Amino acid sequence: MPEITGYAFPNDVHVTWSLMIVMYPYITGFVAGSFIVTSLYHLFDRQEFKPVARLAMATSFAFLLVASLPLQLHLGQPQRGPFVIVTPHFTSAMAGFGILYSFYLMVLVLEVWFVWRQEIIDRARRSRGLLRAFYAVLALGTYDQSPEAVEIDHRAIKILAGIGLPAACMLHGYVGFIFGAIKANPWWSTPLMPVIFLLSAAVSGIALLIVLYQVFARINRRPVVATCMSALASWLWFFLILTITLELLELIVMAYEKSESWLIISQLLTTRLEFSYVTMQMIVGGLIPLILLAVVVLMNRYLHDRVRNTLATAAALLCLLQVFSMRWNIVIGGQLLSKSLRGLRSPYEPEIFGREGVLMAIALFVAPFVILWVFDRVLGIEEPAGDETSGPARAAGAGGEGAAGGVHPA
Amino acid sequence: MDPKIDEPHVSAPEAAPASAAAATGPGSTRRDFLSLAIRLSGGAMVLVAGGSALGGGAAPKAPGEAYDWEEHLYAYLIDTDKCIGCGSCVRACKTENQVPDGFVRTWIERYVVGMEDSHVDSPNGGIDGFPPLQVGFIATKSFFVPKMCNHCRATPCIQVCPVGASYRTKDGAVMVDGDRCIGCGYCVQACPYGSRFIHPATHTASKCTWCYHRITKGLKPACVTVCPTGTRQFGDLKREGDPVRHAIEHDHVAIMQGHLLTEPQCFYLHLDKEVR
Amino acid sequence: MEHARHVFRVAFVLVVVLAVVSLARGFLVPKSYGLYGPYRYDNVKEQMNARTPAYAGAGACGECHADEFKKRAAGSHKTVNCEVCHAALALHVKEDGTVVAPPVDRSFTLCARCHRKIIGRPVKFPQVVLEQHVEGPVEGKVCLQCHDPHSPKP
Repeated sequence: MPEITGYAFPNDVHVTWSLMIVMYPYITGFVAGSFIVTSLYHLFDRQEFKPVARLAMATSFAFLLVASLPLQLHLGQPQRGPFVIVTPHFTSAMAGFGILYSFYLMVLVLEVWFVWRQEIIDRARRSRGLLRAFYAVLALGTYDQSPEAVEIDHRAIKILAGIGLPAACMLHGYVGFIFGAIKANPWWSTPLMPVIFLLSAAVSGIALLIVLYQVFARINRRPVVATCMSALASWLWFFLILTITLELLELIVMAYEKSESWLIISQLLTTRLEFSYVTMQMIVGGLIPLILLAVVVLMNRYLHDRVRNTLATAAALLCLLQVFSMRWNIVIGGQLLSKSLRGLRSPYEPEIFGREGVLMAIALFVAPFVILWVFDRVLGIEEPAGDETSGPARAAGAGGEGAAGGVHPA
Repeated sequence: MDPKIDEPHVSAPEAAPASAAAATGPGSTRRDFLSLAIRLSGGAMVLVAGGSALGGGAAPKAPGEAYDWEEHLYAYLIDTDKCIGCGSCVRACKTENQVPDGFVRTWIERYVVGMEDSHVDSPNGGIDGFPPLQVGFIATKSFFVPKMCNHCRATPCIQVCPVGASYRTKDGAVMVDGDRCIGCGYCVQACPYGSRFIHPATHTASKCTWCYHRITKGLKPACVTVCPTGTRQFGDLKREGDPVRHAIEHDHVAIMQGHLLTEPQCFYLHLDKEVR
Repeated sequence: MEHARHVFRVAFVLVVVLAVVSLARGFLVPKSYGLYGPYRYDNVKEQMNARTPAYAGAGACGECHADEFKKRAAGSHKTVNCEVCHAALALHVKEDGTVVAPPVDRSFTLCARCHRKIIGRPVKFPQVVLEQHVEGPVEGKVCLQCHDPHSPKP
């Protein structure tokens, strides 16, 4: 039984939304954040992001496939999960999940298909037997690689990115709305919540891409493009500043207004959440990356590539921790305080094993990387050496493809 | 208040045992046993009333047949000045509704208030009454406050249910469809009063139902039936001369967390500002 | 639009998937859903019959236990439902009519739940500090030595 300080309503002492509900916004944050980066290239034509554009889209896709799992694992009756699509009650933001998720999944699958269509056709042509049949089905039986078809592909990609960006933002923003619109919980109830969630999603997505870019560059033995890294670092810094500002603003306003919930919330922050909020979210995950990235961005011209990469990657890793702590502090923190506003329960310790345990959370975090690896084997994340313009020209340069298109054995 | 208000409200006091008999279930031997008891105690009117109730079969009354939910609009009244914190209501609710250990559908809070400080406790919801208490400040007033689901008219818990498992009946009770609930826990988070919980066995949302299986048969909720001091009263806003309706209409009543505009239907007399 | 053939193919696949999902959904929505609101109306009836009422009120007890009923009604426990101290009717008379002796706690614990003096109770409510009210140790059925629970004023 949890220990209570002060007075908590008898039913309030149980943490209903567990580690899985912390993982869910963390994972959809990566989906939205990666998609923002890939849209910066595909929709807004920011050429500095070209080296990571495909990686970002594949990452968004890999995390999207895993995104519904934490919710299913958390449900009291998981086999009834589809009820959200069968009888959605639209006054509930959670009912939006079924529609938003399916819609965004459709858009992203289509966009991935259009971006990788040339690879699919090439691999269909190059393979034999079952594999060839597989790629043929993926290609939907059309092998048009003419410049006109490629041009149509590019237009389709742009349209889909234009639809997909607000969809991705809504897919993650509604999670913030789920918390922000609960008037019963003063730690959650604020109109800023969807914005804070979305901005920190951008932080987590860009941070992850910085790390993945380094990893994939090492694996594929390609150089890390300096302009791309500095662009990623700039945008990360920008979103981090916004996120921290809004998170702090919420706190400052609450402390200033001193409404009835402030007493218990300040107690929550200084006792139960001292490590995860003050230390992890604000200092280790906030202040330090802010300084590191300030160096990377403001002194960009003077930095050696390796220094830039190291600083940016270190900052990115810390940002990943920051976003996780932020999710933890909101989801778990909000349940540690009782609606009586007179009591706090003892810190939540998630189980290790079990459906909603730590091992499951780790598995959920690792799974998208496994999917990325499979994606690379099946479709190849990086573009083959040379242009992605015309198919026949590329097929002729097939010699260079094998080296660059696949993951090298570890 | 008339103590008889705790008895099931039917037309004649003598018919009370008969309706209780009809309400106790479809088992035929039990029916026979009780009808024998009724005949022994005498009274032709009782026999006729009991007979018609029994003759209608212990078949459940469905909307549109004997019970019409359009004819009722329930409300609950609590007088905190009268509560002695005995916990009978919590025990009765647990027995009546098979409430699991560690959770409560109704509970009692004790407030001990002084000028500098206040102290609230609710040991296991008050199910075994309350122990003696020493506080570290000078207490000037103390009282008990029974609480339960407020069956609000504009409730956030129904608003946030993603599958429509939570709903409000036309006669004013907020219910959870246990076969539809997916156990997401959103309603538990959204309730400002802490009245909901996830049932540990069914893994679906659960809460006070105002003993819907009783009130639709003319009985009172179990907590009201056992309250020894008349603290808890259950009424029908559509019934003429209903004392609960009269109190809500004419006395000074309070609700919990009124600023949230959930329109609770549990009204409190003599509620102190310390109570949230 | 010969070069857009692949676009039409993809659009076709999408339409088929959506159609299948909508069709499946139509079969899965419960029949009584939406009749009176966004919920399954059949549940209202289910809730009405969810269980057999366990408590019956003092009137039901009076039919067999008329003496105690009359004594109670004339004394200061007249507002105390029999089932508060004795068990709910359902634990005493089973559904098939068999009568089981209900559990009743005759020790001071039961009386103390209402009548021990603790902070919180209304001042006018009869409550005692047990240790001062009783000569000798407070244990067992000490209250019953002086008080008849059906008419407690000594």
